[in-house]
Amino acid sequence: MTITHAHILQALAQVHDPDLHQDIVSLGFVKRLAIDGGRVSFAIELTTPACPVRDQMKAQAMQAVRALPGVTQVDVTMTSQVRPSRSAQSRGTSLIPTIKNVVAVASGKGGVGKSTVSANLALALAGTGARVGLMDADVYGPSIPIIVGVGTEPQITAERRIIPVEHDGLKIISMGFFMKAADAVIWRGPMLHKTVEQFLGGVEWGELDYLLVDLPPGTGDVQLSLCQLIPLTGAVIVSTPQDVALNVAQKAIAMFKKLNTPVLGVIENMSAYTCPHCGKREDIFGTGGARKSAERMGLPFLGEIPLATVIRETSDAGRPIVLSAPDSPAAKAFIAAAEQLAAQVSIRAMQGEPVKVTF
Amino acid sequence: METLPVPLEIGRANLFDIKVKWQDGHESVYPGRSLRLNCPCAGCVDEVTGERVVIASSVSADVKPLGIQLVGNYAISIQWSDGHRTGIYAFDLLRKLCPCANCRVQ
Repeated sequence: MTITHAHILQALAQVHDPDLHQDIVSLGFVKRLAIDGGRVSFAIELTTPACPVRDQMKAQAMQAVRALPGVTQVDVTMTSQVRPSRSAQSRGTSLIPTIKNVVAVASGKGGVGKSTVSANLALALAGTGARVGLMDADVYGPSIPIIVGVGTEPQITAERRIIPVEHDGLKIISMGFFMKAADAVIWRGPMLHKTVEQFLGGVEWGELDYLLVDLPPGTGDVQLSLCQLIPLTGAVIVSTPQDVALNVAQKAIAMFKKLNTPVLGVIENMSAYTCPHCGKREDIFGTGGARKSAERMGLPFLGEIPLATVIRETSDAGRPIVLSAPDSPAAKAFIAAAEQLAAQVSIRAMQGEPVKVTF
Repeated sequence: METLPVPLEIGRANLFDIKVKWQDGHESVYPGRSLRLNCPCAGCVDEVTGERVVIASSVSADVKPLGIQLVGNYAISIQWSDGHRTGIYAFDLLRKLCPCANCRVQ
């Protein structure tokens, strides 16, 4: 029997993307299908290089095609093309036309490790080959420069546009680049709004798959400005496991809901602590609280990051753990959470309709 | 989780009026002047009491929208012919203001 394109596509239609709930043929993932006698080759183009089920889909696709009579060899190439969120398509004359997805990293309470989580998520996404930017929108307490170990002032173009600092595969911008460590920003709302606007539209971001925005804690001027200036793909909520943090996190969730910004998921930071000496596990702030809260509110839970001295040390040293110890349990937790986040972004990109203004 | 009303298309009904097609299939046509008088900005509504402070007689009868921009994912801003432009009309507010007979009854 001669193998045809139709046979192969029929076999591949048995492979489903578990996040998007559709088969990979109707999703348009199958590319460059070539048949040479019994040898079949094709590419599967995923919606993110950080796909958590990439290997599973590859194995299923190979198995499905190999099961066809007459097939002797199957070559599958895994590629990816991040799709812009629907909200990005309704931007029109946007501040940031070259950025496919903007994700805010938010919390209710301060001190839950938002910046450390942002930096490690960004590095984990970049590590998969995605083009990633990291905007430190915590104007009052910018800590991204310390965490990623960059202190250089960005270059300014002749047109007075800011060139983001490129470091470890990320494009980074932070208020911390423009001020001395001991200085303080003491501003009212309108100045904050202008800064957020400039960090979006006044920066030469170039083509990005993901821009992560590390927000200050709370539900104030910066959050509101960000949600007004651009249609965000969504927000990630970081919380520690104890009730006092989760209660405030709910306020951030309520804010995003009011601003019609999808909450892509919840990350529990400073989860269980494992003593490096005796290996005993201690739930200092409790554990699982964020997962339970997320479930109760019908939000995706993206993962738990352990409370580990090494995370704090690597952040303080400017070498985030995803880079400095990628095989450690803590780094793996960040990478897994980044994959879950990328999956949620892909899901959002397929949902909803862009709002059209015809005026 | 209840979902907020989201428009599919926002455009003109005519020179004075704004038309919104919603994703749930509903259609709203807003007389421009009534939207202008319902402006939710801090200059038109007292922020503490919620009392409307814009004086209807100070807004001309032929006020019309000159431009509309999306605000993030949740609202539009409208530039009016009387120079006013500070109002941010959230989608849920717009839906509440729908003047059609069905929406008025609810």
